[in-house]
Amino acid sequence: MTSLELRNISKGFKSGKVLDDVSLSVKAGEIVVVFGPSGTGKTVLLRMIAGVHYPDTGSIAIDGEDVTDASPEARGVGMAFQNFALFPHFSTFENIASPLEARETPAGRLKEQVGAIARMLKIDHVLGHAPRELSNGQKQRTALARALVAQPKVLLLDDPLRNVDAKLRYEMRLELPRLLRTFNAAVIYVTQDYKEAMALGDYIAVLRNGRIEQWATPMSVYREPVSIDVARLFGDPTINLLSCKLTVNGTGSITLFDRRVPIAETYAHAAGRDLVAGLRPEHVVVSESEAPDAIPFDLDAVMPVNVRSVLYLRGAKGEELLATVGETEAAKFGRGQRKVWVRFAPSHLLLFDAASGQRIAPQVH
Amino acid sequence: MTTATPQTATAPRRPGRHRLTRRALPYLLSLPALLVCIGILIPFFTAVYYSMMRYRLNLPMMKGFIWFDNYISFLSDGAFWNTISISLIYAFVTVTGELLLGLGIALLLVRPTRLNNAVSIMLLLPLMTAPALAALMWKLMTNPNFGILSYLVGLFGFTDFRWASDPSTALLTVVLVDVWVYTPFIMILLLAGLRSLPKQPFEAAALDGVPRSFVFFRITLPMLMPYIITASLFRLLDSIQQFDIIYSMTQGGPGDTLMVFQVQSYLEFFQYTNVGRSAALLIVLWAITYALSNLFIKHWLKLRERAHGPA
Amino acid sequence: MNQISTFEKIVRGVLIALVLVFFLFPIFWILLMSFQNNDQILRIPPSLFFEPTLQNYLALLTGRLETTAGNLDIAFMRNLGNSLLLSTCSVLLSLALGVPAAYAFARYKFRLGENIAFTLLSFRFAPPLLVLLPLSLFFKQLHLTDTYIGLIWVYQLICLPLILWIVRGYFEDISPDIEHAYRISGHGWWKTFRKIAIPLARPGIAAAGLLAFIFAWNNFVFALILASAAKQPVTVGALAFVTASGIQYGQIAAAIVLSVTPTLLLALYAQRYLVEGLSLGAVKG
Repeated sequence: MTSLELRNISKGFKSGKVLDDVSLSVKAGEIVVVFGPSGTGKTVLLRMIAGVHYPDTGSIAIDGEDVTDASPEARGVGMAFQNFALFPHFSTFENIASPLEARETPAGRLKEQVGAIARMLKIDHVLGHAPRELSNGQKQRTALARALVAQPKVLLLDDPLRNVDAKLRYEMRLELPRLLRTFNAAVIYVTQDYKEAMALGDYIAVLRNGRIEQWATPMSVYREPVSIDVARLFGDPTINLLSCKLTVNGTGSITLFDRRVPIAETYAHAAGRDLVAGLRPEHVVVSESEAPDAIPFDLDAVMPVNVRSVLYLRGAKGEELLATVGETEAAKFGRGQRKVWVRFAPSHLLLFDAASGQRIAPQVH
Repeated sequence: MTTATPQTATAPRRPGRHRLTRRALPYLLSLPALLVCIGILIPFFTAVYYSMMRYRLNLPMMKGFIWFDNYISFLSDGAFWNTISISLIYAFVTVTGELLLGLGIALLLVRPTRLNNAVSIMLLLPLMTAPALAALMWKLMTNPNFGILSYLVGLFGFTDFRWASDPSTALLTVVLVDVWVYTPFIMILLLAGLRSLPKQPFEAAALDGVPRSFVFFRITLPMLMPYIITASLFRLLDSIQQFDIIYSMTQGGPGDTLMVFQVQSYLEFFQYTNVGRSAALLIVLWAITYALSNLFIKHWLKLRERAHGPA
Repeated sequence: MNQISTFEKIVRGVLIALVLVFFLFPIFWILLMSFQNNDQILRIPPSLFFEPTLQNYLALLTGRLETTAGNLDIAFMRNLGNSLLLSTCSVLLSLALGVPAAYAFARYKFRLGENIAFTLLSFRFAPPLLVLLPLSLFFKQLHLTDTYIGLIWVYQLICLPLILWIVRGYFEDISPDIEHAYRISGHGWWKTFRKIAIPLARPGIAAAGLLAFIFAWNNFVFALILASAAKQPVTVGALAFVTASGIQYGQIAAAIVLSVTPTLLLALYAQRYLVEGLSLGAVKG
């Protein structure tokens, strides 16, 4: 059952069009992550679902009922803001109780429900405090509790972990999905962090320039990005991008680093076009010893990142390549190693049209 | 928690067509403010209209439209030029005095100690006194028979100091009252301005061993300039239209030594019942203040932005 | 600024003392006079030490004055009552009208709002007589001359713009997200206004109200033109009193003391808000 449905939403401000023909739907119990760099209208989209802004064109329906023109208090959604937006002159308890108080819940039941959700979010011990006495993590949990307490059909989370410290963010990233599943609401989660998007979302909507550029499961977005821009947004370090041209002479091939790389015939329809080949750093195999078909590179620098290391490689003609290797592997490259040998599997290459930036999908005949 | 009871799971209210009420809301809320605006604009335009008429309340049959004759007659009217010069002199003398005094006091009190804060609070009192009543207070103090000030200046040899009754000292007296009432205003503004200045330039200057006079003239003063300009314009605008103090003190006398714009206009209206001339005089005053106020608003908005963030 | 020499400290102290004397002496002196009878007042040289008397205040309070020339009826308490009535009602009305309008200006950017705000601001510096003189003629036609209602309405010209400027800034300082969160929780805009906007802007509303009261109380020219003796506030009444009673200096002083005390007390009570209010938000106290 579709809990939330947006159709052809467009919104423009004096500064320009922020959302252009956006459509999406979310089922009860689903988490859809709206992902994109800052300023792309993610927050505006969320606020339109909540009723704070109104779309220029398009419709919004919750549980089949059209709410496009409804005021915020009539929509029955729950929203947690990035900067918490707690009522500073109410206690934590009163903050959380607010939606229940609006629905005229009797005092006994109200206390019960607030207590239950506070316990669930581990803030029951600060219920009597004022918001300014809470830590950021507690404030965020209070905002979440307030959004959840009336068991809304639609839950809107506006980058809730942005203003929370790194350790807490990591913990909550694990906790949130579990928490949200118990409520069975349709959830829209906005974030700029691709790792968060991939960890939390059942589906990811990549929002760029006011349009949804890709709508897919996290794995699909990562493995089959619809464009160069999407490929770059997902992945750390950023995907390697190399210009090339596909020539077909019996078999198809492209030239990378002065080597011919065979390309499957399912890409034959892209022959003759200027292309950009994408290769994720984790797919670049680096060894310190020469191997057949391996391409020589200069190792410029090694940067440890958590349990991996990023290798900065420079090719014969000065081309730059990033590769990631595991911890144990990285140790080999620490001691003044200058020359390394690189291999990769052609099947790991993503091919994009240079002009449009769109990925070229293999055509199966 | 997963077994949700139906009541809490629904929205508190049914959605409906709210677009019209939404749009109308700000207009409804500001309706009274709009009425007040109209309540100001109607008399204003009426005054403009009257200023172009020959209209005396005691001679209503003579009422007639004469375009700009009132204004033209001002040009050759000694009383008019007297009004302009007295008003301008009054305005500039009071504002200059208040500025210098206010700046000096603000500099004295700039450090936020308990004592300084208490003093600046006490100094608010004259500002909170009704100017009309302040004039009465000073009238009592300058009474030739028992006024303490008359007595004090007598000790210095000015035995027959007539204060406001004497044409040569009347201006001084009312300026004194004005300075007494309004200097705290400038002082407060400049004090707040001084305290809001960034500390780094001063700390750097102290480290460099820069002499105090240099610090004052080349660092403090330029940074304080926006506040000085705003405060001065504010007071200038009020001073040139001063009524309460002068009317309470002397009703414009002795003779016409203190016939500033509004006092003159008031007398034209109520004593000579000359609505046309009185209105014309006010329009001239209004033109001056309008030009000045536009200048003031520009500076005031800049300061406000600094205090609050962009509007 | 660490090394302040003792000499400087002394100079500073002397200057501050001089300043305090200049600005506080008149109030102090009139206060003294109000406790003196005529003989003590006329004594030369004037003295700080005398036997105080309450007869001036009694005369004002009871409304009767016994002089050598006969008995005089003083209606000064009525002036005081008028001031209280006019100021209180004007402020209450302007708050009721102005706070919602300030909210509208703060939250919604609409052309009419900007025009109203600009008009009110630019007429703040227009000569009051420009509006009052034609208004006095209108009032005659509308039979509003010398009525409390007419005066309270006219006093809005003073109070309302003040409320609008000061309170608008306070509303603008409240993060809109807080109000959005309250509405999304399920409350309508009126409840949001009452329970969120107003409580959070309360300091500003209090400041604006107090300042409006002080300005209304201290106003002179409005009542001078539009009110007759029965409805005059103290500012006009005191002047009339001086002219009428001529020689009763002690009572004049007492009348002045009674007239200025309310605003002075209010100012001391609300001094925190005064800086920002007086500068119309240009500086934060």
